[in-house]
Amino acid sequence: MKVFQVEKALVSTNRIASLDHKPLLVVREKAGAAPQVAVDPVGCKPGDWVLCVGSSAARDATGTKAFPSDLTIVGIIDRWESN
Amino acid sequence: MDIHQVTHSLIMTSRLDGMGHLPIKVLKGVNGQESVALDPIGARPGDWVITIAFSAARTAAGDDKTLTDLTISGIIDDWSSQDC
Repeated sequence: MKVFQVEKALVSTNRIASLDHKPLLVVREKAGAAPQVAVDPVGCKPGDWVLCVGSSAARDATGTKAFPSDLTIVGIIDRWESN
Repeated sequence: MDIHQVTHSLIMTSRLDGMGHLPIKVLKGVNGQESVALDPIGARPGDWVITIAFSAARTAAGDDKTLTDLTISGIIDDWSSQDC
């Protein structure tokens, strides 16, 4: 699992049906790192430091069994200083 | 999921049956590395798209038995190279 910072919500109107309407957020490991997209079942706001799980665990973390995701937010970290 | 830009289509007439019939697109990642993904959406060259990897890519392609490890799952509404 890795720590990411939430940047902004991501809007993708034209997407596959199996993604249904789960919110997607743009997250970065640190400022300037490559952006990635995570499914957000928790409800985060931009600037939050969150923990994300990847590969097959990300599928069940979204709340729907075998959901097509490879990066899902599992929680918001209370205090985190990025080094 | 990762963010890629579609560069062009890849035509591959002789392919394994397990790959199905979805079009194949060549993608450029945010840090420039090249990858290839199945495309159930119909993204055009130049579109910024979200891709799903690992085992979830097979579900995203519509059928769990599809032989893929990267699938395009959505076209981002507004994104430009400055956002990378």
